[in-house]
Amino acid sequence: MASSSQLSQSKIDPSVFQRLHPRAYLERFLSEGIRPDGRDPGAWRGVSVNVGSISTAEGSALVRVGDTTIVCGVKAEIAEPELDRPEHGFLVPNIDLPAMCSPRFKPGPPGEEAQVLSDRLNNVLISLEVLSTASLCIHPGKAVWVLYVDATCLNYDGNAFDATLLAMIAALKNTKLPMAKFNEETGRTTCSHSSSVPLDIRHLPLSASFGIFDSSHILADPASFEEPLLDAFITVILNEDGALNSIAQSGLATVGEKSSEEVVAGCVAEAKKRCADTRKCI
Amino acid sequence: MASFDRRRINGPEESRPPVFDDEIDSSPSNLTTREGRSPKDIRPIFLTPGLISQANGSAYIETEKTKIACAVYGPRQIKNAPYNEVGKLNVEVKFAPFSCTRRRAPMRDAEDRSTGVLIHQALVPSLRLELLPKSCIDVFITILENDGLEGCVASGSVAASTALADAGIEMFGLVTSCAGITMEKDIWLDPTAEEATQARGCFTLACMPALGAITSVWQTGQMTADEIIQCTEECQARCKDIHDVVATALLNSRSTKG
Repeated sequence: MASSSQLSQSKIDPSVFQRLHPRAYLERFLSEGIRPDGRDPGAWRGVSVNVGSISTAEGSALVRVGDTTIVCGVKAEIAEPELDRPEHGFLVPNIDLPAMCSPRFKPGPPGEEAQVLSDRLNNVLISLEVLSTASLCIHPGKAVWVLYVDATCLNYDGNAFDATLLAMIAALKNTKLPMAKFNEETGRTTCSHSSSVPLDIRHLPLSASFGIFDSSHILADPASFEEPLLDAFITVILNEDGALNSIAQSGLATVGEKSSEEVVAGCVAEAKKRCADTRKCI
Repeated sequence: MASFDRRRINGPEESRPPVFDDEIDSSPSNLTTREGRSPKDIRPIFLTPGLISQANGSAYIETEKTKIACAVYGPRQIKNAPYNEVGKLNVEVKFAPFSCTRRRAPMRDAEDRSTGVLIHQALVPSLRLELLPKSCIDVFITILENDGLEGCVASGSVAASTALADAGIEMFGLVTSCAGITMEKDIWLDPTAEEATQARGCFTLACMPALGAITSVWQTGQMTADEIIQCTEECQARCKDIHDVVATALLNSRSTKG
């Protein structure tokens, strides 16, 4: 491996250096206390949320976290409930990372990253009881609502999890279901355009993600250039009253002199501030 | 209707879209005069190039209820393929699950592929593919909201051509596209989904206004030969207007980029 003095002597264009030696490129920036996109290591990207723009969906949201763009739409359909849960509806979240959002993704069925994201989001929405599935019941044992929450990434610039969770929560908050009546004689459900009911949302969890580089720097809200170079990831999910819902950590979280408990505690404190800011957008 | 897809979170085996009682009672109203605009008016177009930073070129187009995002990657190398003298254009269209009144399965189906073929047909004559041997250009189109298939094909072609220009791919001219329908006596341009269902025939034209060349024509339904000629002329005139919109949008985005 070339030493840093050898690298500094050769004259290379910065963008070429970024492609050939991404790790050294990031190290050079962090040694000055700044990241390649100009942020401080602990700084977050701006968030913008736009709800209700898609008329064909019962609820929709478009979220931009920096350059990462996620569109989420909620479609409602009617189905028979499961036999052992006759009074509960279904909530089916999915995220699609199509080939258009980044050169990393190939066209075709969902790859590993999309499957992992979908699974994590499913765990958050179901286990934290964001929505009461009992409120989706139209007639016990016969007809319940199924909410398909489909998110598509249009531009992938890192940290898709935070953006997608925000998009799904904003879309669910925006969703209105038509009033449904179940006809016992015909066994059919009819809905009316005239009145619609918002969903019974119990909690609004939001997340904040961090990455650890080289066991020496904590980077908040990693961008797509930084993500493959990070050793560990920490995601903190907080509720609307600032209560901690879950912490997910993959990889060793020791940073310099600090132990992993201190690092995680520090991340939780930062996450509280971030989620309070993001919550103002929805 | 969903089959078990082991790569996605699945809902119940079978679910149906909601049936509305006001739809059962009333039949669709017969449109004799157009509501809100004159037969030859097209809806205002909102077009922004360069929205997707990860792609070589991109565009987002919005006309009232049609919203389409397009990204272009290329020219890039074709791996594991024999030598090709002329570059390949690969157009992939995907309707988002929430884009239509009835939810669409996440897997690509026949409608996605045929829309892709139509857009491919509109774009290929405009590109200088002979300058790109061994390469392919990937155009990915995601339809976020669908207001009629003709509208999607037309807007998709415009977005794809803008994205290709944004990516700096050499071309003979920008491709713009316009759709028209024949109602009882009139020809209405830029139909909505509701208008298209009641039309006798539909006609979608793609052309390069800079060269005055037509690149693709897609006609369905009943139209007399005279109506087809009239449609061609009217769509071409509108395509010229759309070309101005596209050119202005590209120039503005370049001037802000510096």
